[in-house]
Amino acid sequence: MRTIQTQQTFSLSSVKPLEGLIAYRAFCVEATRRALQEGALRWTRSPISGSPLVPCGDVDGLAYGRCPDGGGLFLLERAAPKAWGRLLAHVSRHRHSPEAFHAGLAKSRTDHVYAPKLEWIEDALRLQDLHRPMVLEVVTPPSEFTGFLADSGSFADVLTVDETELATTAQGPRAQAAVLLESLDRAQDPVVLLGRVADQLTEGGLLFVTALVASGFDLAVLGIRNLYLYPPDRANCFSLSGLAALLRRAGFQLLELSTPGVLDVEIVQAHLRHDPTISLSSFERGLLEAPTEAQEGFQTFLQQQGLSSFARLVARKSSNV
Amino acid sequence: MHCLIFGYGYMGKIRYNVLRGHPAVRRITIVDPAVEASTTGLDGVLLPPGAPIPWSTCDAAFVCTPNNVTVDLCVEALGRCGRVFCEKPPGRNWEDFCRLVEAAARVPQATLVFGFNHRLHPSVQAARALLKDGKLGEVLYLKGTYGKSGGTQHRQSWRSNPAIAGGGILLDQGIHMLDLFHLFLGPLAVVDAVLADAFWGSGLEDNAFVLLRSARGVPAFLHSSATLWKHTFRFEVGCRDGYLIGSGLLSRTGSYGREQLVIGKRQFEDEALALGNPREEIIHFDRDESWDREVEEFLAAVLEGRPPTHGTLDDARAVMETIREIYALADRHKADATPAART
Repeated sequence: MRTIQTQQTFSLSSVKPLEGLIAYRAFCVEATRRALQEGALRWTRSPISGSPLVPCGDVDGLAYGRCPDGGGLFLLERAAPKAWGRLLAHVSRHRHSPEAFHAGLAKSRTDHVYAPKLEWIEDALRLQDLHRPMVLEVVTPPSEFTGFLADSGSFADVLTVDETELATTAQGPRAQAAVLLESLDRAQDPVVLLGRVADQLTEGGLLFVTALVASGFDLAVLGIRNLYLYPPDRANCFSLSGLAALLRRAGFQLLELSTPGVLDVEIVQAHLRHDPTISLSSFERGLLEAPTEAQEGFQTFLQQQGLSSFARLVARKSSNV
Repeated sequence: MHCLIFGYGYMGKIRYNVLRGHPAVRRITIVDPAVEASTTGLDGVLLPPGAPIPWSTCDAAFVCTPNNVTVDLCVEALGRCGRVFCEKPPGRNWEDFCRLVEAAARVPQATLVFGFNHRLHPSVQAARALLKDGKLGEVLYLKGTYGKSGGTQHRQSWRSNPAIAGGGILLDQGIHMLDLFHLFLGPLAVVDAVLADAFWGSGLEDNAFVLLRSARGVPAFLHSSATLWKHTFRFEVGCRDGYLIGSGLLSRTGSYGREQLVIGKRQFEDEALALGNPREEIIHFDRDESWDREVEEFLAAVLEGRPPTHGTLDDARAVMETIREIYALADRHKADATPAART
């Protein structure tokens, strides 16, 4: 198995500025609250270990529980699958509207988010000697990434599927690769979604997953106070080990398990600027006030040790699935 | 299969451990008179002193001995069973190698494979995969450094005895990097070479600086050293649109550092924040399957009755020709530098 570290550098403000996020986050939380009012299903057990989730606080009144085994964070109440699908579609439309902060950062997000992700996928295909596969892109439409995949010339075809529909319909193998960019984070039931994706992958097919992970530095330090944790986009925030276990249990062999995030330190700093009363240890405060070189060195350490909050995984569908 | 292992030193132990786990191998016999019969874990495996070598039941032979006996054993094994895995180097010199070639030619369907496992290290495999479709553009140059420190026993080692080893660090370790150069660039011509016996004084080179050029004119530079106090394995492939830097080796001791491959993209100041500091990704590897894979491939070639895919006689010929040229050039330089030559 490989891990990957990146030397790419960019600022938080160029991809997901905290100030811009707050309004979008409020929209998402309110939309989730309304969806739950139509009927809520109680989530009591960790999708990783099956252990009872331990309540650990709430995000503007929406309770989360922690997996006692891996440390992942999970929303404790969810709408039924179809209602959840409508909720995801609703917030996705908003994300693509001019009101959301994403619109003003399109160029920057292309350079720093989508282009590196495409390169990552293309390099992994080369390393695995998989030439021009049919790729399944699992998203809540519309997806900015579809065009990148289609225009790259690296794929025989791009099948973009709605993740909520995928989770409720069965279909046989039809793709040699599948891309889930933070889809598991927002899935109503990530185990079901992953199973459906596995069903649609041919034997030996490659799975690409990105996710925000609770074992990463900024989430570990800020916990439930982390403003980047909110439903429905982050209804599930796995630990890195939990995510790996989820994939293995779904019949995948891990080829890459990396946390090449570059923003952990900056995210904590942004939270501290937003709310100076946040309680931090003296070590954490010292780190946030350290010279830039020390912070960069620490971020590199987080990447190398799998301790950043942005996770990337590549896995191969095993023959016995 | 019944496999014979000649020599139970560092490499013999590695081969033994790999063969023990191979599903097709039913029996292993180790032939090494220097190993005590009471050695733990070798009951029924170590050939007793004076016992005849069981050639009649041998399906494949692994020759893991010091260089001075390698070729004799390989020639005999080729004649006896026709399936031989020979550790590098393929002889002490070109003449030794030619004896191997002749012996192999005398045996129809012979399978002769040489231990060039570095080709199968994950960083090298990844580099090859990334270069394959030309995504980084054509290769502009290649650089390689491979070296170790020798250690307190180096002077007493057979590796420091010219009669036994046949060559210095270039033949002993640099040969792996040369093999990688051939793998990446194809046939190479020697442009120049400087060899030095700078520290160990054994009469063999402890440093080799070699400049090479591929058939397409791509330059390559090798530094092979027995005086790198920090163990180093590093190769750099410069391409038109980026570069790859492999370093570290997953080894038993870990002394060469964590094995990794840097993938860098060419970015000028219109694409990057700072010129000369492009975006890089670093792949870290945690598993070396090279020993298993090369033995697996050798045995598969034997079982399937097909030619091997790597570590072939042609691969060996390429590096041995290059090494022959390097030593010849170094000798000419030495002759040119003598006072008689200068007058």
